[in-house]
Amino acid sequence: MINTADQEQLFKLIADYLPKDLVCVAIGGTAMMFLGYKNATRDIDLVFDSEGERNTFIAAIGELGYKEKALADVYDERRKKHAGKPRMFTRGEERFDLFVKDVFGYEISTKQEFTERRDYLGKNEFTIHLLTKEDLIVLKAVTRREKDQEDIETIIKIEKSIDWGLLLDKAIAQAKRNEWMLIDLEATLQELKRITFIPGKHFKRLYEAQERLHGKR
Amino acid sequence: MDNHMGPGKYTVETFAREEGITRQSALNKLSKLKREGYVTISGGGQQKRIYTLHKTPQQPANGFYAIVNKYAPEKLVPTFKHHVVGNYTAEHAIIDGIKIGDARTLEATQHLFRHVTSWKRLFDLARKEELTTEVHALYNKARNNTRVKRMPKRYQE
Repeated sequence: MINTADQEQLFKLIADYLPKDLVCVAIGGTAMMFLGYKNATRDIDLVFDSEGERNTFIAAIGELGYKEKALADVYDERRKKHAGKPRMFTRGEERFDLFVKDVFGYEISTKQEFTERRDYLGKNEFTIHLLTKEDLIVLKAVTRREKDQEDIETIIKIEKSIDWGLLLDKAIAQAKRNEWMLIDLEATLQELKRITFIPGKHFKRLYEAQERLHGKR
Repeated sequence: MDNHMGPGKYTVETFAREEGITRQSALNKLSKLKREGYVTISGGGQQKRIYTLHKTPQQPANGFYAIVNKYAPEKLVPTFKHHVVGNYTAEHAIIDGIKIGDARTLEATQHLFRHVTSWKRLFDLARKEELTTEVHALYNKARNNTRVKRMPKRYQE
């Protein structure tokens, strides 16, 4: 596990080892920590715009002693076969999950709108963008690792103003790239009904989108 | 956050009333929440202090908007939260202002040229971001509109 202060120091250290400026998007536990939803995370999830940028980052953390790890035990078989799977690097208790543009079919870019920006000024500049809470929830629903559902519930308990319509817009727009996305999202929303009210119209939209998607096949 | 108060703005008196505690207990509680980052304070001195309670811990923003709103007479509403770890200077903020690029931001960014301490740093950053022409253009505009330090000859167009 890594806490917020340690994570800040680690990113600052990585900035000192980067051969050039780098921009990425933080998702998952890292983003939740930056946004104040939790104090510690096991995995640091980052999304880069290109393979080259990911390799630059990997070279920097490689110098710090991070070693590549197999995806086994973390993701299920379906996700391990997906083109948008991450490369994982670990050292001690913390782990980097590094994606390129695509998180199991959900496309993310540093060019898209962000709510928060974090700059680490070392030898070079390491910039991290944070997305909206709706993006975080969809991404957690897509990755569905051990603690993801728990994390979504944490966000929902703190944030009373989730825009479910926007959340569905984002998921439906990207559903073509991952046939399981809407199914996973529906399962997540069903579980969330235990702790919050989600109007029925959103489920109706989700089922219609699902039908349209499968009708095309 | 262990208190049951909702997010919003309070004075020490309204906070004490809604919590059902004494004024001194309210001050102690607000002080603890401030340490944890859940409370930000405005006012003080002649003004009454207003305590803003947040749902999540807030880190003080120290990036572009903090610098530009410190020095520019026309203040900007942040379009994103910006946090920096490291030495973020007026030179960095000028480059960020140009990259954000809307008219209001550029207008406010002009005022940062008065606070440039290293022209070398400014032009190193500008060259890295390929914004040298834009820096010169904004500098010339700033020269016409505000009092600005003279740019050393070697950096002039």
